[in-house]
Amino acid sequence: MIGLLADVVGRVSDQATTSTTTIPVPCSISSGGAKITSVCSDTNSLHISVAYRSILPVLVLVIGALALLAISAVLPKRSRPGLYALLTVAIGGLALIASVWQWSDIGNINAHVPAGAQAALNYRLAHQLTIGQQVFYDRFSVLFMALVSVATILGAMTTDSYLRREGLDGVEAYVLMLMAGTGAMLMAASAGLIMLFLGLEIMSISLYVMAAYHRRRTQSGEAGLKYFVLGAFSSAIFLYGVALVYGATGSTQFLEMANFLGANSLSHNGILLAGMALLIVGLGFKVAAVPFHFWTPDVYQGSPTPFAGYMAAVAKAAGFAGLLRVLDMGLSTQQANWRPAIWLMAVLTLLVGSVMAIAQRDLKRMLAYSSISQAGYVLVGLQAASSTGTAGALFYLFTYTFIIMGTFAIISIIQGRGEARNDLGAVRGLAKRRPLLAAVLLVFLLAQAGVPFTTGFLAKFYVIQAAVQSGQYVLAIIAMLSAAIAAFFYLRVALLMYGTEGEAVAGAPGVSGGAGVSGGAGAGDGSILAGLQPIPSLDGATATATLLDPPAVDEKVRLPVAVALGICAAFTIAAGLSSPMIDFARHATTLFNLK
Amino acid sequence: MDDAPFRPWLAVAVGGGSNITYVEQYLPILLLMVVVGAFAGGSVAGSRLLGPKRPTGAKEGPYESGIAPRYGPAARFPVRFYLVAMIFIIFDIEVVFLYPWAVMYRQLGVFGLSEMAAFAVVVFIAFAYMVSNGALDWGPHQKRGVPATDQLTRSTTSTVRRVPRPHELLLGVGPISMEDYPEPEEPAAQPAPSP
Repeated sequence: MIGLLADVVGRVSDQATTSTTTIPVPCSISSGGAKITSVCSDTNSLHISVAYRSILPVLVLVIGALALLAISAVLPKRSRPGLYALLTVAIGGLALIASVWQWSDIGNINAHVPAGAQAALNYRLAHQLTIGQQVFYDRFSVLFMALVSVATILGAMTTDSYLRREGLDGVEAYVLMLMAGTGAMLMAASAGLIMLFLGLEIMSISLYVMAAYHRRRTQSGEAGLKYFVLGAFSSAIFLYGVALVYGATGSTQFLEMANFLGANSLSHNGILLAGMALLIVGLGFKVAAVPFHFWTPDVYQGSPTPFAGYMAAVAKAAGFAGLLRVLDMGLSTQQANWRPAIWLMAVLTLLVGSVMAIAQRDLKRMLAYSSISQAGYVLVGLQAASSTGTAGALFYLFTYTFIIMGTFAIISIIQGRGEARNDLGAVRGLAKRRPLLAAVLLVFLLAQAGVPFTTGFLAKFYVIQAAVQSGQYVLAIIAMLSAAIAAFFYLRVALLMYGTEGEAVAGAPGVSGGAGVSGGAGAGDGSILAGLQPIPSLDGATATATLLDPPAVDEKVRLPVAVALGICAAFTIAAGLSSPMIDFARHATTLFNLK
Repeated sequence: MDDAPFRPWLAVAVGGGSNITYVEQYLPILLLMVVVGAFAGGSVAGSRLLGPKRPTGAKEGPYESGIAPRYGPAARFPVRFYLVAMIFIIFDIEVVFLYPWAVMYRQLGVFGLSEMAAFAVVVFIAFAYMVSNGALDWGPHQKRGVPATDQLTRSTTSTVRRVPRPHELLLGVGPISMEDYPEPEEPAAQPAPSP
């Protein structure tokens, strides 16, 4: 396979080296009457034909964002509160429809692959490497575009309610969300490191602003600043990695990198290894993999809650899309070098995320560590470096989008105005107050813990299966152990929700009397089991008071949030019972295996 | 391996047939860095060593040839200038891209025209957004809130103490006692009107 690739792409890069003035001229490889999608320097035209179909969802999001801005400029301020959210949902829906159409369109392309390996490869390169060879038009890209579209729809639904409660106005939240989605889509569709970096920056800069969106909340500003400083640093590291990899391979295009590394063996690969390490660091920061995770708890805690969910879903997915593109395509011949590094990162991410989440008393911080731990499973799938591993990772990312956005949506409901209650005590007795809400949250928690009949179980099953298939038994065992550790803090929240509130009330005199340690320690209360009482480091009275007080917040669930939660929960259960999603994910890895 | 392309920038490739090593490639850059450092350090050291030093109070001041500041700067001042800077950057970037397009106008043809039109639309929407957010409103700030309910008990005459003006001080023989300007009595608080 590599040899074939070398043949085609090598010819292109040879021309690039021999003629210093012209640009590569692969105009001849198009066939079937499709558009030529590259720079043709032999004709005297500078026209780059753009295959708009390959970036259709991106175009929808960008044009939608511009339209939102234009509408907000024309309309008087605060005229239509829900209009922007509605439009954003419509834009996300259009992008989703566009990506579904793309999926079938790629099916058409795949159906007409000519016989013969060389011809098939030419055909694929002509049709699936578009816009100046910068964008891949394959099902891997399309799956991520669908993921981002879904996340944008869910995010817009949950953001509207949050913004109204917090008294924040503005179209900017939705525009930033759409722009971040654009960057994430471009990252997933990138066919080279330059495009990957562009997408990374578009996404990151939008996310920095989103983290700091709550102007009157100091934690939000702090989160934005932290995310910006550390993110800019990681972008610089990534860029340095790009430079080094370019120096070592002579190209920033993934296929040409793979071709060169397959055809040549480097006698001194220090530059390549250093570049690879820097790329992994830069992208590992975005996916919050240990040891590049330190920003995550602070940023998730400070960011507006729906945006934290959007970040956890989209930034993680886009970062992993970049990692898969770089490692599984560009550096696929260097597996012996990056697999041990990813192995170590996966183990650290799984264990640190799970263990640290136990120590958290803040719901959003706990979810941040939980999302770190979940990133570890995707790393397990990536580490397998096989099509099953990639499919498992894609499945994981897609299902996790629904789970994490639903969870953050519920937290944004129960935290109350001004994000007053983010501590674990806020969920106490939720089952009594809002049974349906508690049940939905329970579904999400169980899914994250990996309980069967949810997508979380299937996702963990697929990545661990891939690890076992590639002979990584130790990694598989660590992943399972980490799931067991993580089940503790998920079930702790569940116990708090379903713990009988009457016991806590019975212990209320003890609480008010200051003897908080004995207060609320009723036998039927889940708090002992949940490990909340015997934590000695906190002042007993304070700890118990913060944990036992029922939150005096308005837990009104608006219709869009209810719809979003319904979608998330329904998907989590339905796709967990029998999942066609994994078939989609398997299809999405096609371009990785041209054999 | 033998037919590997010659890559002059890649000396480590086996079979490339190149004898250049990394250090030799980067030697000019290294030399440039050394020269830059030497020049900067030499300039500072040279002016230290050779230049005459006759410091005066004015020279030591923050602005050697300006007016010495007598007050500290205002702690807070409106940062409206960043909006102007943003508008400037918007059009600056547009012009930066318009120039090369103008040079290559004929070769790019309709494609270039449509691309530039799309770009101009994007820029214009950004500009419209900024204007709608008050980037060009330089006048006095217009209150947009609801007017406060009138409280007849508290008015300008009842809350503002009259301070003698300078000409009044000049005309008078001495300090004017405040008995000349008695404070108006605050009327008793009236019960809130029942709705």
